Amino acid sequence: MTQQRKLGFGQAVNEALRIAMETDPDVILLGEDVAGGGTREGEDVDEMGGVLGTTVGLVKAFPDRVLDTPISEMGLIGTAVGAAATGLRPVAELMFIDFLGTCLDPLLNQAAKLRYMFGGKARVPLTVRTVTGAGMQAAAQHSQSLYWMTAGIPGLKTVVPATPHDAKGLLLAAIRDDDPVIFCEPKSLLFAPGEVPEGDYEVPIGKARLVREGSDVSLIGMGATVRMCEGAADQLAKEGVSAEVLDLRSLAPLDEEAILATLEKTGSVVVVDEATPRCGIASDVAALCVDRGFDFLNTPVRRVTAPHAPVPFSKVLEDAYMPSAAKIVAAVRDLRT
Amino acid sequence: MTNVPVLVRMPKLGMTMEEGTVVEWRVAVGERVEKGALLLVIESEKNEAEIEATASGFLRHTFVAEGEVAPCGALLAALTETADATLDAAALAAAEAPTVPPDAASETAPPRASAAPATFERRAVAPAARALARKLGLELDRVSGTGPGGRVTKQDVEAFAAARERLVPVEEGVAVELLREGQRGEPVLLIPGFGTDASSFAALVPALAERFQVLALNPRGVGASDPSGDGLDVARLAADVAAVIAHASPQRPVHVVGASLGAATALELALTRPELVASLTLITPFVTATPRLLATIDAWCRIAAEASPAALARFLAPLLFSDTLLADERRRERTLRGLAAGLPRVPPATLERTAAALGAWSGTRADDLPRVAARTLVLAAGADLLTPDAEAIARAIPNAARVIVPGAGHALAIDTPAAATEALTHHLEKA
Repeated sequence: MTQQRKLGFGQAVNEALRIAMETDPDVILLGEDVAGGGTREGEDVDEMGGVLGTTVGLVKAFPDRVLDTPISEMGLIGTAVGAAATGLRPVAELMFIDFLGTCLDPLLNQAAKLRYMFGGKARVPLTVRTVTGAGMQAAAQHSQSLYWMTAGIPGLKTVVPATPHDAKGLLLAAIRDDDPVIFCEPKSLLFAPGEVPEGDYEVPIGKARLVREGSDVSLIGMGATVRMCEGAADQLAKEGVSAEVLDLRSLAPLDEEAILATLEKTGSVVVVDEATPRCGIASDVAALCVDRGFDFLNTPVRRVTAPHAPVPFSKVLEDAYMPSAAKIVAAVRDLRT
Repeated sequence: MTNVPVLVRMPKLGMTMEEGTVVEWRVAVGERVEKGALLLVIESEKNEAEIEATASGFLRHTFVAEGEVAPCGALLAALTETADATLDAAALAAAEAPTVPPDAASETAPPRASAAPATFERRAVAPAARALARKLGLELDRVSGTGPGGRVTKQDVEAFAAARERLVPVEEGVAVELLREGQRGEPVLLIPGFGTDASSFAALVPALAERFQVLALNPRGVGASDPSGDGLDVARLAADVAAVIAHASPQRPVHVVGASLGAATALELALTRPELVASLTLITPFVTATPRLLATIDAWCRIAAEASPAALARFLAPLLFSDTLLADERRRERTLRGLAAGLPRVPPATLERTAAALGAWSGTRADDLPRVAARTLVLAAGADLLTPDAEAIARAIPNAARVIVPGAGHALAIDTPAAATEALTHHLEKA
């Protein structure tokens, strides 16, 4: 029996990286400050462990396999794609997904396409870890949830864990996957503790998680919004409404069967995403419900997302911008009255 | 007024009015009449009504002479702004052009647009409801919607399918829904009032079911019962009740309890089939509908056809409930939600037909009350706006017991269920 401990989301990621490196000598880490690049002369080499401290301790354990890169996302992601295509299993850190624009080509046109362009003879076992989302007053250029962009590129997989347990298991699965995986770490969850088993385990990519069962409405969330869905379900339970909560976990591939199963059960879906609404995951799930689940629909499909606007810096405005349990409850009430 | 003439038409003053007689023109052709002044007197259903001019002008022509009968909406007269304005076919056609013809009676009694209300929007049906109805082979247009905005939900189809299991045949090709609660004791049959279904007795049923076999009926066209069809009348409703009793309690008579129009049905049954009635309970009954009751029912039909059940419930609340209930916000809102959930189970077509049946029955049994043989309880509401004659009815029925719940509203079973239950069980146990 593995004992259940509580770890923060970032600690769970750290543990997964350590296990991946212990079990596979081809796994390397690279990114800005992942090896403590901010360290000054005379300080412990590993003082920082990345801008959010996620990789702390790893460079000591694996001195040759944790590489600080120059501040050039194009350079570091390009290097990682090349390393993956030529035999290593790199884990690159893109500090914030907001920087995706500066390194899009190696992901969009190389990593995502090589297996296809070479008839299956090439593979790119690359993992890009990146921090997403709002809720920490990081302002418009460091708070976006752009996973919908990578999820929309055929050839890339995209996962967004909502718990430390899934962060560890999904990261191990992502690193061991032979295709490029974008691994999103929602900012507002990074220090939230949760139970994390010891040892080596994987959470399969492409499988949603049924968080709680219910019969009246399905709340479908991902990453940071799963907690909001659970909070809403608690509130709705007091009002006599039984809400089922589904955590997508994997945005590409999408667990369509799990979405349709919960829709069939409750007949009513509210999709909750902290990303902007246009061309997003919430719209995608809503379209799936209407397209393949039409005969299950007992109510319209409702989306609770951020507005189509940049993330505000002001705490008050950022809170108003984000989805919340209260907004989800209001959406469900609206569907039912 | 422009050069377009103003047309005067035969108004529709009541639900059942189809035609009227011009009794007297109070303005001679060629004379000027001021807006609001008396123009003519009509008679319909033994009532005379004074019709005022809706605009000032000269009465140029009358199309119906005194003593003649014209159907509702028929052209009676034309006014023009000046004494010599052209009044020919073209001018009349121009006056016809407005979609709503000016109606002389609109100030006193709003005329009904038509007997069959227009459907204003496509009815919303949840895809899941459509799929289930298809699977079960049910006709969706029979299923009332209780979802937001009246949307038919999957639960509505499930409830309808379950209700169809409870149907009791009352004549060839017609079956009505009978709900049963309680196994022991003598049978008690509940008949709901106008525009409501058996759920209006919900607050009484648990206590009753402890001591009686409770049967609650959804009349024709209500809930899952088969549609009422044209020519519905109270005698037919009473015959349905007789058929239900024959089916549900073939060996012995039942205690019959009716509320409002349900009381009319119960009274009709007690007069025509006394052998089926073990005892009679008339809750907020009437034998002659008051103008306020008729006007309420008229508005009820119209609102049901044009607005949401929530709006209809809100309209009805001050007419059906006591100040006590209305003052208690939480109870009021809860009651309104319950009422709004039940109201769609009586579709507009049923309301129209039932309203006609009520209007036709009104007054026909006023002299027959002394002939009621059943042991009778009249349960009246002290603050009843719609059927204020319950006490008089109780006095006219031989040996009738009467209980007046002080301050209660017309919908007694919802408004003051505890008092209603107490009076009812007391009566039934003595009976």
